[in-house]
Amino acid sequence: MGVLRLAHVDVRTPDLELSTAYYTEVLGLSVAARTDDAVYLKCWDEENHHSVRLRYDSRTGLDLFSFRVEREDDLDELENSLTAYGCQVRRLARGEAVGQGESIRFVIPSGQTMELVWDLDKTGNILGKHNPSPVPPPDLPGIAPPRLDHMLIQAEEVGESYTFFRDVLGFRMTEQVIDANGHQMGVWLERSHSPHDIAIVNGPNGALHHFAFWLDDWDQVRKAADILAFNGVQIDQGPTRHGITRGNTIYFFDPLGIRNEVFTGGYKPDPDFPAITWTEDQFGRGLFYYENVVSQRFLRMHT
Amino acid sequence: MSDRILRLQHVQVRVPDLELCTAYYTEVVGLVETAHSDGRVFLKCWDEHEHHSVVLRQAPTYGLDHMSFKVAELGDLDYYTERVEGAGIAVKRYARGELGPGWGEAIRFEAPSGHTVELVFGMAKVGNMLPLFNPPPRPGNLIGIAPPRLDHIFIMAEDVELATAFFTEILEFRLTEQIVANDGHQLATWLERSHTPHDIAIVTGPNGALHHFAFWLDDWNAVREAADLLAFNGVTIDIAPTRHGATRGYTMYFFDPVGNRNEVFTGGYWVDPDFEPITWTEEEMGKAMFYYAGQVNERFFTVHS
Repeated sequence: MGVLRLAHVDVRTPDLELSTAYYTEVLGLSVAARTDDAVYLKCWDEENHHSVRLRYDSRTGLDLFSFRVEREDDLDELENSLTAYGCQVRRLARGEAVGQGESIRFVIPSGQTMELVWDLDKTGNILGKHNPSPVPPPDLPGIAPPRLDHMLIQAEEVGESYTFFRDVLGFRMTEQVIDANGHQMGVWLERSHSPHDIAIVNGPNGALHHFAFWLDDWDQVRKAADILAFNGVQIDQGPTRHGITRGNTIYFFDPLGIRNEVFTGGYKPDPDFPAITWTEDQFGRGLFYYENVVSQRFLRMHT
Repeated sequence: MSDRILRLQHVQVRVPDLELCTAYYTEVVGLVETAHSDGRVFLKCWDEHEHHSVVLRQAPTYGLDHMSFKVAELGDLDYYTERVEGAGIAVKRYARGELGPGWGEAIRFEAPSGHTVELVFGMAKVGNMLPLFNPPPRPGNLIGIAPPRLDHIFIMAEDVELATAFFTEILEFRLTEQIVANDGHQLATWLERSHTPHDIAIVTGPNGALHHFAFWLDDWNAVREAADLLAFNGVTIDIAPTRHGATRGYTMYFFDPVGNRNEVFTGGYWVDPDFEPITWTEEEMGKAMFYYAGQVNERFFTVHS
């Protein structure tokens, strides 16, 4: 019950055509809908309308991120918790946002706008429900990840954000990084029995660090790196392995500077999973287990 | 509100040669022995936090004693007791530790297919093999295949529809895939609670039979490495590394020394609770089971324990 998984990430781009070309031809998402100023994209295995929205704006950055809840009546329950916490909650009716029905929106303590939604339009994956092939057609362009996986945002007060996600939205912490004074520098939080659906690291309020697509295995990560390099995409880090989450990863930038990730691996935490703690002196291994470096670009660049 | 049944917790199987099977499951599969008492050996995978996920019991025959699913809260045992008794099926309750070392509080009942099903809460926590501070991504001293965890179980039932209805209607499992015969009845079903393609699957066969239980591996390359290890150790491989149509998983089937079928499995997809089930027709059953071969050999359907 409650929050189920990340549903979509809505970002701004100053060059909608260029960004659309990158997300469709290099990443390999498909266009689900277009409006005057926005393009809606989805991964091939996703059953709902879209998982990424690109909106034209003079500046790049995050509009909002949206999580799906498990049951329709979870929206009311979570709205009550949010109101009790002191959030201003705005309810959107069907028709106010493309590809979905009723939702609630609010600003979280670190300044990002978050949405909760249950009623996502069902458009089906690329395979169908009748004797489906286990793989998509071989002519899909680009990396073609099956689905959106998680996102990482930044917050000036990580501890406050963690308390909010835990107490108000019911997220569970899988891992954390603690500095020498005992303050949380980063937290990894889940609802979907994976290492993270959202992570929060220290940085400016309102910032988006990256959003990540799932790949099936390390071999797919290697192939993705080939595709990125071939297309001249700037790779930020990897392919490599995280200490935190244990995932295999590559970070790279879309043409307007939004960081993307492809991710696989991890583990399957139960709700009573004992959280893992990383100390500041081991933060390099936590981030990139093979390199063991705390990359300044990785920590400082965001949108 | 509780998340109810979370996942498969353990299987207990009978083995006529406890020493031989313990050697196989610890040295070839690479599980860790956590206890040995009264003719039973308790085993876990390296990344599991709880006391056991496989129990071997010395017995004159092979086969399944029971399967156990973990529930999220203690109150879920009462909740499911009411539901199962409401279906006219007797439920027995056991106190913490009563069923063996590391065991939580549990209920047991018999599914319409004749299998004993257990729901358990509060298993003893022994930790995975990594520290909770600055852990490496995997332990350095693993032997054998060393899967991180148990994944799912596959059982047989004379009446697949009846068994499936029990798991979906009473225990609230969700159907992800099914094979439907030309006359409309279900030949096989895949059911989940953990947002994966399956925690349990049911295929047509004798009541009470175990088809296999499966361990998770991280990727296809790990499946290939597992095949190397099994062949090196002289283990009978039933189906060499291949791909399922149903579940989309990568797989290999093999037999433990006394004939219980094991699987290693990876891949699949994420499942929302309102996932629309996939249907395979009888003509495409071969592809559903083994996508590359497109056919199922007789041994796969007729040999079980």
